[in-house]
Amino acid sequence: MNKMSRVTLAFLVMGLVAWGCAKKETGPIKIGLMGPMTGPWASEGQEMKQVLDLLAEEANGKGGVLGRKVEVVSEDDGGDPKTSALAAQKLVTQKVMAVIGTYGSSITEASQNIYNEAKIVQIANGSTAIRLTEKGLKYFFRTCPRDDEQAKVASQYIQSMGYKKVAILHDNTTYAKGLADETKGLLEKGGAEIVFFDALTPGEKDYTAILTKMKAANPDAVFFTGYYPEGGLLLKQKKEMNWTVPFIGGDATNNPDLVKIAGPEAADGFAFVSPPLPKDLPSPEAKAFLDAFTKKYGKPPASIYSVLAGDGFRVLVAAIQATQSTEADKLAEYLHTKLKDFPGLTGKISFNDKGDRVGEVYKVYKVNAQGEFILQP
Amino acid sequence: METFLQQLTNGLAVGSIYALIALGYTMVYGVLKLINFAHGDLFTIGSYLGLTLLTSLTLTGRLGVLAGILCLVVMVMGLVGLIGALLERVAYRPLRQSPRLSAVVSALGASIFLQNAVMLIYGARFQVYPHNVLPKMPLGLFGLYIPLVKVLVLVAALVMMMALYLFIQKTKLGTAIRAAAIDQGAARLMGIDVDRVILIVFLIGPALGGAAGLMVGLLYGQINFTMGWVFGLKAFTAAILGGIGNIPGAMVGGILLGVIEAMGAAYLSIAWKDAIAFCVLIVILIVRPTGLLGERVAEKV
Repeated sequence: MNKMSRVTLAFLVMGLVAWGCAKKETGPIKIGLMGPMTGPWASEGQEMKQVLDLLAEEANGKGGVLGRKVEVVSEDDGGDPKTSALAAQKLVTQKVMAVIGTYGSSITEASQNIYNEAKIVQIANGSTAIRLTEKGLKYFFRTCPRDDEQAKVASQYIQSMGYKKVAILHDNTTYAKGLADETKGLLEKGGAEIVFFDALTPGEKDYTAILTKMKAANPDAVFFTGYYPEGGLLLKQKKEMNWTVPFIGGDATNNPDLVKIAGPEAADGFAFVSPPLPKDLPSPEAKAFLDAFTKKYGKPPASIYSVLAGDGFRVLVAAIQATQSTEADKLAEYLHTKLKDFPGLTGKISFNDKGDRVGEVYKVYKVNAQGEFILQP
Repeated sequence: METFLQQLTNGLAVGSIYALIALGYTMVYGVLKLINFAHGDLFTIGSYLGLTLLTSLTLTGRLGVLAGILCLVVMVMGLVGLIGALLERVAYRPLRQSPRLSAVVSALGASIFLQNAVMLIYGARFQVYPHNVLPKMPLGLFGLYIPLVKVLVLVAALVMMMALYLFIQKTKLGTAIRAAAIDQGAARLMGIDVDRVILIVFLIGPALGGAAGLMVGLLYGQINFTMGWVFGLKAFTAAILGGIGNIPGAMVGGILLGVIEAMGAAYLSIAWKDAIAFCVLIVILIVRPTGLLGERVAEKV
């Protein structure tokens, strides 16, 4: 090979590299979605995907973001920590620039460090456990509120109803145990007596042994901090036992499948603490979004967490447009410090320096005889 | 005392379902020395088929509640039995002469296949049995509240187990199954068609598992495609507890496991109830390595 051809080759290689870089800039912006597409929480994950698909479609219809198309890459975390670690690694190798999700706190916890080390912004939509944002992870955000606030609202509600002896039941997941501990502390400080505190095993079908034991403790009310599949079964089996104690749930019981599993008769009167439901969202952005969703899928979104995933997507797009960049450092800095009172679907969104959403309030809902969720004043 | 009796009935109801599933594990193991890992998924299929038949044929509307449910049980048992026999033909018979490990791998594969097939056909979300198929009224007995469904499930499970026991002990076919379980080669020399015996075992075991699936659907209402795993694991434990390969052992083991779980939850800790149940299993296996009713069999050399 003579000198001339060597120089030519060098230029050729440089050109190829440059072309490669340039191509990366014009290719689609890949945004990951990690959600429970299968497993016990599949109804949450599938709706999360519907929401992001719709929002990506809308963004692309308006010419994309920074002139590039947005592509949603979704991975199934199966509602299981082990699967979520795999899903996170898959998304990292597919070079997504940010990830939306996921729903369960212990599932998010298993993926947090993987994204943080890969410098990928993660915006969780349903993971409310306190400790997720106490680790000082730079690229972690969440659009849902935190469990210390939830526990506050729950304990206030329990005390306002005059319940003195309270049973608390959790399921040993990061979220449920955290919320149970927090609420227990607050209730005890408020003078209530915790007559029962224990955990069930999620995924089973028969909880009558637990209900029988709880009944023997004779509580005025039961606070269940687990998820809706078990919540529905508990309500159904409690009804079959002819036990009329009022049940109160945390925000993980907020899913219409709860009523489907329990049956409207057994679910009647069940109260739960939750961010407002999609149908009760007041903002004009929310109305427009709900209309678009109904038009595309034939029915409005059932879960608030899918809408919160949509908000994660929207703040991310806003950050990309404001910083004119897809670099994680710039995006994280923008979200931490510059994004203030962003008009989200679920209300105004700002993040504090931990990545927590600030200033959103939990509401109390009650199930009526038709199985509908009614916002309590 | 009231709480104790209530917990006892709770345990008996779950235990009888474990026992029905455990029978499938133990029968197959008895004849083939194979753990049929796909058995839990056949149980799942039973509950899904039950749901489909219940909602599409509206048997309970046409024949009345009891006759409708009875008809449904027979149909589900028949269909799941056929699927079980088909599984044997496709996944296990070609490997009859291979090392035992190959058949175990094949069983795991069949389990994954069936579970995903159910997911693709019915979707990943929960399915819910229609409410009020069976009358909801609880039986009030000595201050206990026992839903009628639970009593029916317990009775049905006991009847099926008794029928199976009599079939195995008293009929010619049952004797053939017992003979094949002791020594396949000798049974073949005595003129027993061992392949047919195995086929029958794979009809009966899954049929009972399918019936258990239907009962879980009717009893708890909520079914999902992964539930075969939890129930399968518990039933497998029950089979070992009673002595795997032994039919009365599976019944005793299942009911015992259910009661231990309920009592562990009642008097110790709910969160630890599985740990308690498995500790009891370990203790029993240390004292009696072949399980409660398992016979001490000399290793074939």
